[in-house]
Amino acid sequence: MPVTFTFGEMLSARSVIGTTLAELGDDYDNLWVLTPDIGATLVEFRDKFPQRFVDVGLAEQVCVSIAAGLAYEGNIPVVSGMLPFLSMRALEQVRSDVCYPNLPVKIIGTHGGLVGNGGSTHYAVEDLALMCALTNMTVTSVGDPLMVGEIIRQSMTMAGPIYIRLAVGKKDKVLYEPGQHEIRIGKGIVAREGTDATIFTHGTVVAQALDAADALERDGRSVRVVDMFTLKPIDEELIIRCAAETGGRFVVVEDHLAYGGLASRIADVIADRGLHLTAFERLGIPQVYAGFGEDEQLRDKHGYGLEATIAATRRVIAATT
Amino acid sequence: MGQSSLKFGSGTRSVEELEDLAFELRSKLLHLCGTYEGAVHIGGDLSAADILTALYEYGLNVDPSDLSNPERDRFVLSKGHAAVCMYIAMAMRGFFSYEGIVETYGQLDSAYGMHPCKVQLPGVECSTGSLGHGMPLAVGMALSARGRGETHRVVSLVGDGETGEGSIWEAAMAARSNELGNLVVFVDRNRQLMTSFAEERVAFEPYPDKWAAFGWNVVTIDGHDMAQLVGAIDALPATDSTRPTVVICETVKGKGVDFMEHNLAWHAGSLGAADLERAMESLEASRGKNKNKESV
Ligand SMILES: Cc1ncc(C[n+]2csc(CCOP(=O)(O)OP(=O)(O)O)c2C)c(N)n1
Repeated sequence: MPVTFTFGEMLSARSVIGTTLAELGDDYDNLWVLTPDIGATLVEFRDKFPQRFVDVGLAEQVCVSIAAGLAYEGNIPVVSGMLPFLSMRALEQVRSDVCYPNLPVKIIGTHGGLVGNGGSTHYAVEDLALMCALTNMTVTSVGDPLMVGEIIRQSMTMAGPIYIRLAVGKKDKVLYEPGQHEIRIGKGIVAREGTDATIFTHGTVVAQALDAADALERDGRSVRVVDMFTLKPIDEELIIRCAAETGGRFVVVEDHLAYGGLASRIADVIADRGLHLTAFERLGIPQVYAGFGEDEQLRDKHGYGLEATIAATRRVIAATT
Repeated sequence: MGQSSLKFGSGTRSVEELEDLAFELRSKLLHLCGTYEGAVHIGGDLSAADILTALYEYGLNVDPSDLSNPERDRFVLSKGHAAVCMYIAMAMRGFFSYEGIVETYGQLDSAYGMHPCKVQLPGVECSTGSLGHGMPLAVGMALSARGRGETHRVVSLVGDGETGEGSIWEAAMAARSNELGNLVVFVDRNRQLMTSFAEERVAFEPYPDKWAAFGWNVVTIDGHDMAQLVGAIDALPATDSTRPTVVICETVKGKGVDFMEHNLAWHAGSLGAADLERAMESLEASRGKNKNKESV
């Protein structure tokens, strides 16, 4: 497919899901797409492969179990919906029906983080912690809309399940020129080189981290940004390399609870591998019910917006021990 | 305290007054949908507008100046995405100011957002928004009333799409098992979900039979006919009876605005200034039609 989007443009990750699945439906006659009434972006697949499209209506739990049943019979099911409901209403179905038998079910959805202004029922803020806890689950969080298509494509040959997290997915910044980075599930992307500190992040916050690094460059600071779009399995090697190459100065910023997400994954590597850091800061959502507001306003309010990221990175760079 | 004046359905408003109030509620909804930049769940708001008017202006025994009166009827908006319709109905009933809703809707730290938040908005009984939760919560509240010998009702408004959730049917079974005649569920049976029409993807029918099979008292009415809504409220069995009641309200998603009715594109959306005018004209025209029908 010709790529017609360039760096910095806005693109809808949801439409990428739709077109990618419609394309893959030709290559894989055992690909099924299921949704609990969140099918607006799946119309291309639905119209092309009506026999392999299932909209169960408002019923997240059975949607996941049906997908598992399909997978038991050798099919490749993709469940697409809203993550607060897929990750929590259907959590036990994901754990016991999908992960326990290690079935190739793909769970992909929107509303990861404080996005969409739906209020606390509609923000998936603990989903990565929950999904990372599940045996056999591969966990990803994607910001660049073109990457979404690539990850779905790569996941087609995976033996086990994968969770793919998006924000709202309606208007996302294209972060990478196609071909600029190797995109491989399980490997972090060095989105920007730097030597004074590393900002680790994922999802739509990658764009904010890049802006922070740009701002700090104007102060003569060289800040690396790592798009750790795979949280599980985590790219240990890259974390170790960044510790060595950026003075052991880490900032982790994410649109997820500050404890339980990427920061915790990285802290585990630091502890388990005995890495000696100079400074480590984590920015993310505190344990509060966040209320209403636009995405950026909520990030600022809860202390993980652009200014907070710049300030934390400055502190980490200035740290002495 | 005069117990008898606190009965559910003790409202004094006439059907005609209620119809005017429902029209006002719809106008206010459209105004918000035309001025707020983000999406409003206008389709399901308009389908529920008559039901919420009948409840807040006629059925529910609630007092905006006494929010924690233990004798008040409890209302739980299970289809939480119709929050703004409830906010405005409550504002019209005197709970809060309509201007306050319009001025702050969806903004940072506003009490009024896409789904109702009890913590930020006193008067709302439960925080909802994730479908399939509100009605089960109402079962718990009804059970408490029963246990304490309280005589108020617990009322919940559920979307028909929402009744695809298994939790609704688990709650339906629990309500009957516990003989909760003090529980009333209104179903906004607009026959649309978010991305499909009912029956297209999900076989709801025979719908009333499903509720009857769970042992509920089933009433089916036209959810846009105020006289029928009032009649259903007046005819509710006593709160110490043993069967919960479901009032299946046949409705139209987007009711009152021709280009929104039966249109999947208007599950949620935003009207610009021009479309707001068009929507208001259509609403006026549909009211004219109803008035004529009545006088014939
Ligand atoms: C558990 C859950 N899943 C999905 C959604 C997203 N959602 C909001 S409204 C809606 C459709 C609801 O249909 P229905 O209950 O019939 O409401 P109505 O048509 O009256 O608006 C969906 C899928 C949600 N709020 N909660």
